[in-house]
This record gives sequence, structure tokens and C-alpha cells, in this order.
Amino acid sequence: MALAKILFADPSKCTGCRACELVCSFVNKGVFNPARSNITVITDEKNGVFIPIVCQQCDPAPCMESCPTGALYRNEQTWAVEVDKDKCIGCKLCVMACPLGAIKIDPSTGTSTKCNLCGGEPACVNYCRVKAILYIPEEQAYYLRAREKAESLIRIYKVAVGEAHV
Amino acid sequence: MSKFKYKGYAGRILRVNLTSGNVVKEDLSEGLALNYLGGIGFTARILWDETSPDTDPLSPENRLVIATGPINGAYFPQTGRLEVAARSPLTGVWGSANTGGAFAPELKYAGYDMIVVTGKSEKPVYIFIDDDHVELMDASKLWGKTVSATTDMIREKHGDDRIKVAAIGPAGENMVKMSCIIFDYYHAAGRTGMGAVMGSKNLKAIAVRGTGSVEVYDYEKWKEVMEYAWYKMTVEWGELNENALGTYGTPSLVEITSAIGRLPTRNHSTGVYEDADKISGERMRREFRVKRAACMGCAIQCKYLSMVPHGPYKTLTGGPEYETIMAFGSNCGNPNLESIIHANWLCNEYSLDTISTGCTIAFAIECFEKGILSKDDTGGLELTWGNHEAIVQLVRDIAFRKGFGDILAEGSRRASEIIGRGSERYAIHVKGLEVSGQDGRSHQSSGLTHATAARGADHLTSLSCLEEQGYEETAKKRYPQYDYRIMVDPLSPQHKGELIRDLEDFYCIVDSMIICKYSTMWPPIFYFEDVAKIIPPLTGMREFADVRYVRKVAARIANLRKAYNVRLGLTRKDDTLPDRFLKEPMPAGPAKGHVCQLDKMLDEYYEKRGWDVKTGIPTKKTLQELGLDDVAEQLEKAGKLPATA
Repeated sequence: MALAKILFADPSKCTGCRACELVCSFVNKGVFNPARSNITVITDEKNGVFIPIVCQQCDPAPCMESCPTGALYRNEQTWAVEVDKDKCIGCKLCVMACPLGAIKIDPSTGTSTKCNLCGGEPACVNYCRVKAILYIPEEQAYYLRAREKAESLIRIYKVAVGEAHV
Repeated sequence: MSKFKYKGYAGRILRVNLTSGNVVKEDLSEGLALNYLGGIGFTARILWDETSPDTDPLSPENRLVIATGPINGAYFPQTGRLEVAARSPLTGVWGSANTGGAFAPELKYAGYDMIVVTGKSEKPVYIFIDDDHVELMDASKLWGKTVSATTDMIREKHGDDRIKVAAIGPAGENMVKMSCIIFDYYHAAGRTGMGAVMGSKNLKAIAVRGTGSVEVYDYEKWKEVMEYAWYKMTVEWGELNENALGTYGTPSLVEITSAIGRLPTRNHSTGVYEDADKISGERMRREFRVKRAACMGCAIQCKYLSMVPHGPYKTLTGGPEYETIMAFGSNCGNPNLESIIHANWLCNEYSLDTISTGCTIAFAIECFEKGILSKDDTGGLELTWGNHEAIVQLVRDIAFRKGFGDILAEGSRRASEIIGRGSERYAIHVKGLEVSGQDGRSHQSSGLTHATAARGADHLTSLSCLEEQGYEETAKKRYPQYDYRIMVDPLSPQHKGELIRDLEDFYCIVDSMIICKYSTMWPPIFYFEDVAKIIPPLTGMREFADVRYVRKVAARIANLRKAYNVRLGLTRKDDTLPDRFLKEPMPAGPAKGHVCQLDKMLDEYYEKRGWDVKTGIPTKKTLQELGLDDVAEQLEKAGKLPATA
């Protein structure tokens, strides 16, 4: 699935507004509630550090592998790992297995909840003012990450030659 | 799930009595929502009902109200704002302050629309709200700590960095009259001394964590509202928002106000600052801005963090905003931007209102320069324009009420009374509140705003950006009855009474929903018609679909807030400006030679409001038409209504 799209988050752009959490819970749960959202922004207001935690739809997916009831399954169209609420027993093994912390138990249903890519049109992406979350092909995401790192090197270089400030 | 009839609301008021330790969760009344909407509307009703002219602002009887509105916690491209209100210890009259961040949504998720704090705790405490669980916690270890230390310690103690914390620092504890409340490190509910009210109650902080939901009445319609608002803010007005507020934040206003000769300089003596480029938004971005930030849900995202990496002014903090740059910069004749950033950080840590603190220092500097104060008075400080070391030192001394700082801690009005010797004319305040970063000589209607705002010389109550930045199309659309060229002329006082009445009403609704002035004041994206589209699908209150109903609620709130001051004996003579704006012509710039033609604007403003022009007091008829019969009756009994009514 080289052409699969993934959600790609860029913490250097994120401003911590958490619009993504709000629209995610609204589109997927019908209410506004960050506690029920499938995306979480870790916010350190004091230092201005904001890190969106988004599911990477791993393949193989540790959450899926760990599920004892087969409640997690792959959506063949979007390649998202989705939850069959009827099969989920709320054992939280998936929560333990996820290396990112991108899956949790919805306090209102007692079953696990995670990003389903909104069926291929992620709402969080549409409402991200600074484009800190993109929905792009995997291959492009890797390149952007490399570029982002390169840009910080360019900046260091510019400071060294006196073209920019620290 | 809230049982309240209308959606958007949490449906409960949290009442905390710090004297008895009683905590009561009271149901929100439908009438309050229908008649006052939320935010500033709620606080106006609570303060009118529960305080009186006998309520000393720093007594246990004063109410500290923190109110949200129906939008907060739902997605709208601005959802993080809240309103704080109490009778002000700085001015003695109506006090309120507004801030952003994410505290308001968190409070809603915990299940409360509003917190009303009364009484006084014997020992320092903080209120911890964890959904239904509300507890008064011992704050003896937090007392004396700065705002960030307090915030960190509370989050650490409860093991959750998602807890939102409203805290005071030493200035609030010391009941410095211009002390504010800081929400999550750097969002300040700045004005009118709300931090001192907390300090007087021995209340160090309010911490909240919520996991509940905010529901909407009509899912599909609300989705349309979200898309509409998003489109307006990021597409229709997107480029402008991004180029100014998004890229530079509010410091971009340094350039914008300089262009019309309205950047308060050297204690508001002029609107032209020769060193404006040294404190400009451009310089801030180039040299000190390190990260863009945002209040919850915002699509404008004007917040930012700045850093001074080394030296005596080493700092990392949110802001400074335009008003702070004005207060510690141009208004103190101080082009040293590092010191301004540092003073801003100190104010955040000590919980000081940057506007009142900076402007009170500017007052002291002018007194020193004019020979009214000497080094004997200032504890050896050489208070000359631009002496940034002395300015930063005074911020500390004010927070800790040390030496000369103890006098300035009372605010410029009281300080000038203590100092005497003719210093009164340099105390640039209205109703005791230091004048914010505008000037009624170069922007006539801003003078009317300063004079009439219930909380004193403040900009957020009714400031118009139509003339400030020449929004002709908006002026044509909103006020077709007037010549738009006059409406956008900052130097013309004509029709400005009606303009300011209209905006004051509109902002009453903005501060009740609650959304931000950035999207309603500047740029003028949303207006009354939008409110009629937003409130019904959100709440199910169909009454609000009628713009006339929205306008009536707005006028009701404005009149009730005014009535609060009338009950305290305020009249037209209090709706005035310092002589500096009325009698000293602007010395330079585009407005050179102009004074603020306040009386002319005031007459029109009162007339359009349906108030008695001679006394500036609402008539019985006006109050009754707005359904404020009980208010009219009480004022009449107290002999406060105009004789003609």
C-alpha cells in the first residue's frame, strides 16, 4: 500500500488551538468533547510546545494484533484501523499496545475509540488553520519530515553567517 | 448530558462560599439564558442582584464571577474566551475583564457555565474542580509563589497537565489595585483589579478539569455555521487576518496606530512616537517572536510567545500584546523592546494588568520630569522617559508594594491624590481606570469609548475600527443612513455617538456568546445578523433568530451594566476624559491641532440610547422597554433616575 495516505502532524506548526479535537468529537461522536476525541494535542503552554498525537494506521497494527476479540479491523478503502463497538469488550489491551498513545477508551461508551480517518476525509485536517496536520501519501510525508529537519539546519547556517537571529 | 432546556449551556452555576466552605451546584435558569445569553450578560445580572452600593470591593461580600457563554466549548473558530466580573477595587465601580485561552471550554466540560465566589477563606485556598467533584484545597504552600510556579504545582499535585488554572501572583495577594488574574501562564483577565478581589478572599487559584460534553441543538445546521464561520475567517477575510494578526499578532497595531497618529506616547501627551520602529510588530517578529500560539479553536491565532535569549531581560513568555508594548514602551518613552518583553513577563508572573501598571508608571515618570516628584519620593529612582531599568524595577516594587511602589500600587488616580502637588492632571484615567492604547484626539470615537465604557477608560467595550483602518464597505453596509465617508473619518465626531452605541451593544452580545473582538471589532467580520444565525441552531433559543430580539438583549445588557454605575451615583460628569484629550491639542502627526470633541458625541450617544442627555442616566421608559422594570424601580426609589422620566 505504497500509495496509502496518512495523517501527518508537524509539531513545529501546531499552535495548540485544539480545533482538531473539537471537530473530531463532533463529527464522530455528535458532541463537542476533547475527552471523546480521537486526536489529542499535548500542550505545553508555558514553553509554547504543542504536539498533535495522531494515529499512523500502522501495518501491522499493534492495537489490532493485541485485540482478543477481533474488534479492530482494517478498512480496505482507507487503510484505517477501525473499531467494531459490538465486539469490543473494553479490555484496554489496545491502549497498552499502541506505541503512540493514539487509541483510548471513550468514557461514554466504555469501548475503544481511535482515528478512522473520517472515511477518507479527516475533519481535523479541514479545520487546521496552520496546516499542522496533513492528509497526504506516506511517501510525501517522509520527504516533508526530511525537509523540515533540513530547514532547521539551514536556519542554523543562516545564524552562523549572520543572516538570521537565534 | 446536561438536563438544561437549551443546548450549548452546561446548565449549572457553581457557587462557592469561601467563608463557610459551602459549595452549591445551582441550576441555570432558562430566563437568564433567554434574557442575558451568557458571559457579560450573566455577570451584569449577578452583580446587580447580589452586590449593592454598600459592598466594599475587597470585602467578603463582593462577588467574583467567572462566566462563559453558550459557544464556549463548542467549535466555533473562537471558543476560548471568558468574562470575569466583580465590583472593582481599582475604580470602585463596575469591574470586568475578558480573557482567552482554554479555561472557559474546560469549565463547560466540567459542567458549569459560571462560577460565583463569595466570602473570604481564613487560610489561603484554591478551588479544585474535577467534573462533579469540587474541593477547597489548602494553598498555604502556593502563597507567595508566582503564577507559573502556582500553575505548575497545581498540575503536578493532581497529576494532570490538562488542568486549566486561573491564578494570582504576589500582586494579587498584596491586593495591588491593578492586579489581574492570569489563566494558564499568560492569558490575562487584565483590567479593573480582579486579581485583588481574589487576593482579598484568600483565593490563590481556581483549577478546573472537565470530561463532559457541550451539545448543540441542531447538528446539521451547526455544521453549516462552522463551515460558514470558517469560510468568513480564513477565506473571505483570511489574507488580512493572516498578514496582520496571524503573522505579527497584536504588535502589528504599533504600525497601524502610528499611521493615524494614535500611538499613546509619554503618558498620552502625543500620538506620534519617534521610535515606533524600535517597538514595532515587524521588529518583534524579526528578533523576538519564537512561536505562534492560539486560544482554543481560534482561526485567527494572534497569540505568540516571545523570547529574550540572554542578558538582564532574559525571558520566555506569551505576548507582549500591543497594549503592553504601548504601556511600557511608547507611553513610557521607552524604545527598549527587551525591557518591554521582560516587564510583560513580570506582570504575568506577579499578576499585574500591563495597561494600568505601565500607564501608572508613565504617570510617575511625567511627574518626575515635571519636578513634582524627586528622587526623595521615588526611593532614589531616576524616573526619566525611557529609563527602562527604573521601569522594570517599579513593576517589581508595585507587585510587592515596596517603597514608592506601594503608592503606585493604588493606581494613578489614588496615587495622584496621595502625591498631590498638582499631579492630578497627569493621572490619565477615566473613572479611575488608566486609559488604554488609543487617543480621542486622533480617533474621535475612541475618546467617546473611553468616556462611556462602564469599567472606565477601556477599548474593548465599544472601540470602532471602521475609522481606525478605513473599512468603507462595512460602514456603507451597516450604517446606510449616514455618509460612509464621515463614518470612516477618524477626525470627525459626527454620527460617532450612534456608532459607539451600536458597537457597545454588539460587543455586549459578543462578550455574552462569548467570542473574540478579533473577528467582531477588527476585522469587522461578524455582526448582529450573524448572531441570529449562530445562536438558534446552537441553543434552540429561536427568539434569537430575530435580529431585533438580539439587539434588545444587547441593549438590555448595556443598560443594566450602566445602571450598576448609576446606582453608585455616577452621572454624565463621570463620562468624561482627562483634560489632556479635551484641552491640549494633539502636538504632531495626522491629527495635529485636534482635541477630542467629546460633548458633541456624548449628546448624540445619550440621545440614541434613550438616556437623559443632561445627566447621562437611562430614563425609566428606556429601562422598562428593555424589561428592566425592577432595575428602574430600584433606581427610582433611590432617587437616581432623571427627574424628567
